[in-house]
Amino acid sequence: MNEPAIRTRDLVKRYAGADITALAGVSIDVDHGHYLCIMGPSGSGKSTLLNLMGALDVPTSGEVILNGRSLTTEPNLDRVRAREVGFIFQLHNLIPTLTSVENVEVPMMAVGVPRRERRQRAMDLLSQVGLSHRLDSIATRLSGGERQRVSIARALANRPSVILADEPTGDVDSKTGDQIMACIQNARKQSGATLVVVTHNPEIARGSDRTLHMKDGLLL
Amino acid sequence: MLILKNLLRRRTRTLLSTLGIALGIAAIIAFNAVGRGFKESLDRYMRSTGAEVLVVNRSAMAPEYSRISKEEVDQVRALPGVEHLSPGTFTIISGRVLKKPKIKFLTVFGRVPGDRLIEKYKPGIQGRLLQAEDEMILGSDAARDLELRPGDTLELLRHPLKVVGVYTTDVKFESAGCVVPSSMIQQEMKMGDAVGLFWLYLKPGTDWKALRTTIEETCPNLAAIQTSEFTAYYNQLDYIDWFVWIVSLISVVVGGLGVLNTMLMSVSERTREIGTLRAVGWSRGQILRLILSEGLVISMIGGGLGLLLGTFGAETLIHWAPRGLDTRYSALLLTQGFLIALALGFFGALYPAWQASRLSPIEALKYE
Repeated sequence: MNEPAIRTRDLVKRYAGADITALAGVSIDVDHGHYLCIMGPSGSGKSTLLNLMGALDVPTSGEVILNGRSLTTEPNLDRVRAREVGFIFQLHNLIPTLTSVENVEVPMMAVGVPRRERRQRAMDLLSQVGLSHRLDSIATRLSGGERQRVSIARALANRPSVILADEPTGDVDSKTGDQIMACIQNARKQSGATLVVVTHNPEIARGSDRTLHMKDGLLL
Repeated sequence: MLILKNLLRRRTRTLLSTLGIALGIAAIIAFNAVGRGFKESLDRYMRSTGAEVLVVNRSAMAPEYSRISKEEVDQVRALPGVEHLSPGTFTIISGRVLKKPKIKFLTVFGRVPGDRLIEKYKPGIQGRLLQAEDEMILGSDAARDLELRPGDTLELLRHPLKVVGVYTTDVKFESAGCVVPSSMIQQEMKMGDAVGLFWLYLKPGTDWKALRTTIEETCPNLAAIQTSEFTAYYNQLDYIDWFVWIVSLISVVVGGLGVLNTMLMSVSERTREIGTLRAVGWSRGQILRLILSEGLVISMIGGGLGLLLGTFGAETLIHWAPRGLDTRYSALLLTQGFLIALALGFFGALYPAWQASRLSPIEALKYE
């Protein structure tokens, strides 16, 4: 495939009400199956860039092309988020009333995977991230590391081609952080997905194929 | 999965919202059942006379205010087509006057002793029908409340009347009443020889519409009604329906506001979760359906509970209310009640669902 997995062209994001320019023209190509790490201080625009790549937000100008399709002209961004992108958030964002396995099923419900297949796939994914013993635990009863591993399994639920992780180890201690990154790396290798991680942590960047640095909405 | 878990998350709030709907539906069922029960009792009462036509004073708002002079009675009695005319009077006596603590009031039907109209009480009567001016018969409920049986005497409006029979009937207000000689009511109500109303038994083949025209031409003061059309003729009975529906409407609004409040709070509390659902690919339509489904589940449970509470409430109401009220349930009423509950759930959840579906995923995820 000649087309990169993710291509951004002159991405600009301004928040009109607050008169803030979060991104001031960012162009990146990320090849299929690559692991890109984006580093930078708080407010540098790295999370904004990740959100635009994952169709969570729309740019003020510029373009995101995901697997050869422009998100600017894409009529159904829900479908892109459901099928092509898997998100891992810093605060995991699990549904607190659901069990681990039910949380992993949630993205599959969006695309209409039948109940039985959904359950089986969720159990397999939780087993893959080492949580086969915590399938029926309510999210609030899991440790921080376990929650993040459920979040990783959830991101993989619909077999996305792109995994986007926003400070995935930001809310856990360094030992747990290492386990989480190993888990994400392992998942990427098994699925062959493209991985983009936003982080402050240089240790995490060490294992990436490429690391970009941002400041004030621009790539350095 | 998500629907039930979301509802069970705030059990007290969900329970209160469900109860709000249940009470609204219960009020609809109970008031409608009693209202319809009363109207159907009147219909059954009229049919039970066996007469085809009822004649009342046209200007009387209700039969109890009707007065018809003896001359008018005699004129109608003489019309061709009239086989028999049964006059009747009617009054209600307060329980205080009777000095009987168990009853609030006693419905008193004035009839001519030995008349054809009272023949209907014969089947199942304990004792016999009244035949003299100092006799009376009692409905079984009234006899129980007054603790009287055939052979006892009841002083009614200063007239000592001998109870000669206790009748049974499926018309509740008749069962809670008594039948006395019409002359006694005429005297006490200072009616002279006027009657309140009368029933006509027609000769076979008589055209009732032609007879009605004749009656109303001969006595312009009078109105002739088919007994089967009684409740339709007295449109003030529609006030019962209006009352019932106004009470129902208030209950419905309260129930609907309960659902609206619950769902608005629920959506507000779950903004971040809704953001997560949107982030993992849930569409606006799926979010809309999720919240609407939660409203519908509340309303289905509330509606079912409301039907049970309403039935129980109506029966309790007529048990404790003065005797004479009846209830009538129909599949239509119960279906209406349940559909109103569903509509409450749907419309109560519609705005919160719309609001939730409009949340931008990124804004919702940032929500604190």
